[in-house]
Amino acid sequence: MDTGQAAPPVGHTRDGAMNARILVVDDDTALAEMIGIVLRTEGFEPSFCADGGGALQAFRDTKPDLVLLDLMLPGIDGIEVCRLIRQESGVPVIMLTAKSDTADVVKGLESGADDYMVKPFNPKELVARIRTRLRAPAADIGETLRIGDLTVDVAGHEVRRADGVIGLTPLEFDLLLALASKPQQVFTREMLLEQVWGYHYKADTRLVNVHVQRLRAKVEEDPDNPKIVMTVRGVGYRAGAVTG
Amino acid sequence: MASRLAGWALDWRLWPSWPRQVRSQWRRSLQFRTVAITVGLSGLAILLTGAYLSFSIGNDLFQSRLQQALAGSGRAFASAQSILDASDASERVALQQLMGAVRTDLQATSGSNLIAAYRAPGQDFSQVTPPGFESPGLADGVITDALHAAVRADPDSLHWQSVTLTGADGTSTAGIVIGSEISMPTAGSYEIYLGYDLSESEQTLGFVQRTLFLAGIGLMILVGGAAWLVVRFVATPIRSAAETSQRLADGNLDVRMPEKGEDELATLARSFNGMAASMQKQIKELADLSLVQQRFVSDVSHELRTPLTTIRLAGDVLYDQRDTFPPATERTAELLHDQVGRFEILLADLLEISRYDAGSIELDLEPTSLVRLAEDVVEELRPLAEPTGSDLRIVAPGGYAAVAMDPRRIRRIVRNLVGNAIEHGEGKPIVVSVDSNESSVALAVRDYGQGMSREATERVFDRFWRADPSRKRTIGGTGLGLAISLEDAVLHEGWLEVWSEPAGGSSFRLTIPREPGTEIVRSPISLPPDDAIESIVDELTVPQTRSLPIVPRPQDRQDDARG
Repeated sequence: MDTGQAAPPVGHTRDGAMNARILVVDDDTALAEMIGIVLRTEGFEPSFCADGGGALQAFRDTKPDLVLLDLMLPGIDGIEVCRLIRQESGVPVIMLTAKSDTADVVKGLESGADDYMVKPFNPKELVARIRTRLRAPAADIGETLRIGDLTVDVAGHEVRRADGVIGLTPLEFDLLLALASKPQQVFTREMLLEQVWGYHYKADTRLVNVHVQRLRAKVEEDPDNPKIVMTVRGVGYRAGAVTG
Repeated sequence: MASRLAGWALDWRLWPSWPRQVRSQWRRSLQFRTVAITVGLSGLAILLTGAYLSFSIGNDLFQSRLQQALAGSGRAFASAQSILDASDASERVALQQLMGAVRTDLQATSGSNLIAAYRAPGQDFSQVTPPGFESPGLADGVITDALHAAVRADPDSLHWQSVTLTGADGTSTAGIVIGSEISMPTAGSYEIYLGYDLSESEQTLGFVQRTLFLAGIGLMILVGGAAWLVVRFVATPIRSAAETSQRLADGNLDVRMPEKGEDELATLARSFNGMAASMQKQIKELADLSLVQQRFVSDVSHELRTPLTTIRLAGDVLYDQRDTFPPATERTAELLHDQVGRFEILLADLLEISRYDAGSIELDLEPTSLVRLAEDVVEELRPLAEPTGSDLRIVAPGGYAAVAMDPRRIRRIVRNLVGNAIEHGEGKPIVVSVDSNESSVALAVRDYGQGMSREATERVFDRFWRADPSRKRTIGGTGLGLAISLEDAVLHEGWLEVWSEPAGGSSFRLTIPREPGTEIVRSPISLPPDDAIESIVDELTVPQTRSLPIVPRPQDRQDDARG
């Protein structure tokens, strides 16, 4: 096959940051192989798992930097796999789904997926999504920020309330950081999609809604009465006033 | 429905509304109407019978009393005359004594206390004649002149007349006065009147009437009750059928009517239940079919999309390396890439349409400013408009406030409308108007391109319909865009309409309610665009006017006609 030809040239260009390991969980071997070709061309290091039951073990074995997870899998379905992965890691998860219907996508996001891609997608889109999720956190602010009664340690990638550290996924951290870095700014969902998810065109605002809910569940003392991530009705969100 | 059962027992506290209640019961309740008619008609019959009975009994009582009185008075007059005839008194005192004896005799033989005697007029005055007398009960004109005249005209017969007697205690009773003449030796003729009291007969009649009245009332209640029971017996199953069909109509397919006995009503219940069961079966089959359809769509979605993704990725990898291929292979890679893209859009549109058909779509409502959304879409599509030369403008007098809508779907509609306008706008300006009123927000996309014929505007929302199949498409499209847009608008309970004129361009107007679920009163933007009104007015003044080619909403006609 041509795959052997395509892979080696890029194989030599590996250099640190680009050499990210990506676990592809998909039962369609042709698609998995094709995604593998694309990923190798772009300098990633893919590994594969073809069913939901083995996905968690494969995740533990390969310790990937990012997971591409098909929503419909034999054995355990993608939503459940995502939930299992989230229980032990905040590694970025991008869902691959054939269905863009509300229920499936929202279920996937609620189970902890950072982003999703609806089949069929093109290679550029796929790579762009992966790059966004893998990029190093914004290093331009090398300090600590305050939001509500929280302290955001940008360099240390940590969020603290009083003495306790709150464990956030990288995406949730990015979302909180985006709000905290401009406390006066009201962010529309579109702005957050661009800044946090890297979408430069209109995307699904449900991504923002679901992840704001997940973030609130972790950082708010009362998620029904948020003090950290405030809703600005009809516009979007902004950071809560610094307290304590 | 229980309230309707109890409904026709009137509430005494609400008496001012009775006439209205009765009228509404008359209209609504078969039972009430039947009972009312039965009671009314039988009441009339009882009234007529009672009146006849009462009259007839009263008459009989009077006649028998009259005969009795006449017989009594006849005897009395004869007896008095015989006393007079036997006497030879001629002295004043003797005559007076004689008169006293006659009075006593009259009283004894007639059985009446009411006696009056008057000396007949037209006789010579005499010192010896005793004066007449009258019982107090017969004084004060009880005896009429007519009776006097009758007695004088025919002194040998008995004459009677019905009168009103006033008793000593002032009470009035009906009575009869019978009069005749007797002659006294020496003294001459005397008119004698005897009064008979009818109060006893009256009492009897009153008793009979009271009895008849009470019996009539009782009978009416009985008839009414019987009618109520009978109608209830029939109406209850009918009402139950009505309630059951109502609940069936509300979607509760499991309800059935109670089946009891083997009469016609049981047959009704059985046939009704048979109908309901058959309906339920068919609906269930349809629902199952719809579920199968939905599952099929979902499966097709997954099954087609996964290999399509592989093809897409493969095609794109080849496409990216096309420079390194020989020319024929390079072109092949390009065609593969383009057509996979087209296939993908078509598949997505088809699946979307299938979802509408399966009714499986839920709106994801979010407060959104229609003006902002329109601005976004216009900026997004501006690069597409540049090659054609069309200038995209937004005119937004209103519509800035956030309104609950599914922004993804509304954006898709607007993108589709603006895209179409760019494609058919022939490089002329395209105006996107946004406005709002108290009930709705609206967006209209106006182009000044070639426009469409009336036939075309009627079919423009049809699936896979193309205005001009031979025309080259620049933006591409599946022929499902407007069909999907219309479905999206309908999901919002909004309107999507078109106005177009050959060579005059087109205007598509989207109107959605300000609050989800409320009715749009009228659209804030007039559908035939304001700049086209002059030409329409010209057209309307021409004798052969034609109606404006407007598509779906009949309730919008007046709005459009006025606009």
